[in-house]
Amino acid sequence: MAFNLTRRRFLQSASLAAASIPLSKVVSAETGFVQSPLEPKGSLKEETATGGICEMCFWRCQLIGKKRDGRLIKLEGNPKSIDNGTSICARGNAGIKLLYDPDRLKYPLKNVGERGKPVWKRISWEEALAECSSKLKGVVDKYGPQGIAVFPHGSTAKYPMHFFERTVGTHNVSEASFFQCRGIRDTAYWATIGKAPGENVDMPNSKAIMLLGSHIGENVHVSHVKSFIKGLQNGSKLIVVDPRYSAAAAKSDVWVKIKPGTDTAFLLAIMNYLVKTEKYNVDFIDEWADGFDEFAEGIADWTFERAAKECNIPVEQIKEVADILAENAPNVSIHPGRHVSWYGNDFQRQRSLACLTALLGAYYVEGGWVPGIKPKVGKVSWAKHDHGNEHNLNYNEDEELRHPFTPPGTPTELIRDAALTGKPYPIKGCVIWGQNPIQTIPGQEKMKDVLRQMDFVMCVDVMPTDATMWADILLPEASYLERFDLVKTGTQWDFSEKHQQYITARMPLVEPMFERKDNVFITNAIAKGMGHEEEIPVKTVEEMVEKNLAVAGLSIAQLKKEDGIHLRDGKDPYGIPEDFEVLLYNEDIEDAGFPGVPTYMPVEPPPAGFARLLYGRVPVHTFNRTQNNAWLNFAMPENPVWINDETANKLGLKDGDTVGLVNSEGFKSHTTTTVKVTPGIRKDSVYMAHGYGSANPLLSVAVNAGVDDTSLMTKIAIDPETGAHGMRNNFVKLIKDGKVLDIPA
Amino acid sequence: MTSTTTLRIATLYRFCAQSLQYPDTNWLNADYLQGLYSLLESLGADDELEQVQTAFETDPDILETLQIEHTRLFINGVPHVVAPPYGSVYVDKSLQGLHTEKTLNFYAECGYSLKHGSDLPDHIIHQLEFLSLLAENNDAEHESEFLQTIFLPWFSKFGARVKQETHHPFYSVIVQLIDYLTKEEDEHGIQLDEA
Ligand code: SF4
Repeated sequence: MAFNLTRRRFLQSASLAAASIPLSKVVSAETGFVQSPLEPKGSLKEETATGGICEMCFWRCQLIGKKRDGRLIKLEGNPKSIDNGTSICARGNAGIKLLYDPDRLKYPLKNVGERGKPVWKRISWEEALAECSSKLKGVVDKYGPQGIAVFPHGSTAKYPMHFFERTVGTHNVSEASFFQCRGIRDTAYWATIGKAPGENVDMPNSKAIMLLGSHIGENVHVSHVKSFIKGLQNGSKLIVVDPRYSAAAAKSDVWVKIKPGTDTAFLLAIMNYLVKTEKYNVDFIDEWADGFDEFAEGIADWTFERAAKECNIPVEQIKEVADILAENAPNVSIHPGRHVSWYGNDFQRQRSLACLTALLGAYYVEGGWVPGIKPKVGKVSWAKHDHGNEHNLNYNEDEELRHPFTPPGTPTELIRDAALTGKPYPIKGCVIWGQNPIQTIPGQEKMKDVLRQMDFVMCVDVMPTDATMWADILLPEASYLERFDLVKTGTQWDFSEKHQQYITARMPLVEPMFERKDNVFITNAIAKGMGHEEEIPVKTVEEMVEKNLAVAGLSIAQLKKEDGIHLRDGKDPYGIPEDFEVLLYNEDIEDAGFPGVPTYMPVEPPPAGFARLLYGRVPVHTFNRTQNNAWLNFAMPENPVWINDETANKLGLKDGDTVGLVNSEGFKSHTTTTVKVTPGIRKDSVYMAHGYGSANPLLSVAVNAGVDDTSLMTKIAIDPETGAHGMRNNFVKLIKDGKVLDIPA
Repeated sequence: MTSTTTLRIATLYRFCAQSLQYPDTNWLNADYLQGLYSLLESLGADDELEQVQTAFETDPDILETLQIEHTRLFINGVPHVVAPPYGSVYVDKSLQGLHTEKTLNFYAECGYSLKHGSDLPDHIIHQLEFLSLLAENNDAEHESEFLQTIFLPWFSKFGARVKQETHHPFYSVIVQLIDYLTKEEDEHGIQLDEA
């Protein structure tokens, strides 16, 4: 600046006097300060806060926080926890970097630019909430409640989701955890044993464990990993079925290097063998199962030879697996899997897993599938109403379900298609809450088109994401370390130990910074603005937690007194409940036009020159949720693409080479990553971790780091029974130095 | 320095702090502009004065323009936030790092704490307000120590980013004013290190 005076001279000059008179009229007498007693150096107060529940992933380990003058400096497992104990994983530890991430959302923002290319303006909560309510109400008035679509994810999204679903009355709610992750598992087990299975396998007390669809060790969930390791320590035999030598495969007795998409054939052959040789648990099946004859007949053609050919594995290996399972039955953990939305033939595979567990008699026995007996707590939310099925996209013109075994909500693809065609009705308002539908749902361009055609898009999140760029109003939510929300219950993870139950509630370890607010505050304000004030079930999130705790005779104050966790005696979880029933053959499935007996449906093989794109997890990230975390990014900044060593050799690729990817529909990744050359993957597949390569430049750490595998999922595959997405049906080639490399057969 | 002078300096710090608040008609009014213009005039900053004046006089919605620019610079902007206004982001590459703690300690040692619900302790507005309180108290020693150990080490980076990347002369002028007000001079009154 061309100031003519030096600072010193100016400050002592008459000019300052002249200038400062009008200035003193302007400046506020108020500052952010108050006077306080003089403190000697280094006298900041240290304290421990209890009652934290981690949400760097959704396993919900219990935490304590070490604080210095209100600043969280370290997170640890709550020593009182009978779940994770004092352990937390790398992501759990890195929670403070999320809390204090400079890129986090801080204030309500309005997009005054284009949707997808935002120009943000900070606005007040009042204005933001008024705008959200009036715009969403406008959509409801013009198009009906079904004009709103909701994409929720995570514990805080339940309350707003219930508001839109139950009170406003839209069916168009699609949770990523159901339609792009584990929903198929839950509905397949529902159709077989009448229950969602969770990951309730008693691994510590098992004699054999089979993982097909689970990445334990890469998918780190502390108590689950502990139970897995304890099982191995106790001598349990481990079978891992995976096209890739995963972290779990590295600990296995048998690694089945299966051809992707053929798992059901493998399972059918094992079951057929158990049936034919009468190695199944006859007593269990007689007493608890229905439809054995139809089942036996339906799978009768699945010889080892046929499966071996289909799955591209040795006959002997299938037999070996079958014998291990039979020899160790009933104390066998057939893991129900997690993130099982693979090929669009997944319901039948998950049914097979449930049926195999039954043939082994491995329900409610030591080492088998055993749900712990949890204490009862409340579930306060918006009151349920029947909104009929007229606008339920999952019903066709004849009022039949399109996908009869769908998880709760509406299959995402039905919502997107309706939004894009306007048929059977327009969908013009969108609420995205804690979900990143650009990176969770295959068909990114389609998702962008869906958002483009909306009249209004509201996003609520903790961090910017690829989806938040599409918001008209973007609201900052308090993170899991800054808010109350759920009440969590459970038991000790090893059922051979003293039976105990715990009840805990998520409590803030620090106050929310900036203007971040919780889900109840935001939802209630919108509900009020949309004319639903009368139906608001709780005024604050604390009130919700109190009411839920009260059912168990507890309160927040009591939990605080008990260091955040209430423990009580538990119950023996073994022993089959009287009403338990396994449907090996399910007539309802058949009536709905699908195979009532687990059936293998082949998937398209990779075209010549392409490999199938598989994806999975890494221990230090929870997909895209943690990509911007400075510590975790340091631990794993990109997602190397695994390629078979012989294939790499033929292509002249070395470990660490930089490559891009192009899929069979010609879509190129917008970023590159490195190559990991390994014998631990089949030649017909490549593999990478999911959730990298964010496109939002507001994520200053994560942007363009690695390759976004979802961007390469341009082929939409839908599981017919459930309507969930299959996400491993895309085929890719690698690009090095601008040259596209054909993958040799 | 006389106490009148230090009071005036206090006013200047406070004015700079004020100028970095989120733009709002409560303070961004005719009086404010009058103050800014006369300050620039006294400093002989004719070009800057003209730029700011033109920007204010020709923009039909100056408030929204500045709100968008403030959001882009300090809160959330595409492709990235230009200059988060927190010292710790520059010193520790995080919010609430050790720098924040040091800042808070400094306040406490001088007998100040932040009101409940205030922004983070190392926000530039708080740091400038604190400097104004020290100047008001004629506490040159702490003022200088705070400048040297807490404020200047990060402000140089913050100010440079704003100056380089802002789309609006207003913020460029304000960071230059802050720079001018806080920059060390050698004994001949020459500013070291032109910003
Ligand atoms: S497994 Fe790790 S990230 Fe997940 S809840 Fe536990 S500590 Fe947190």
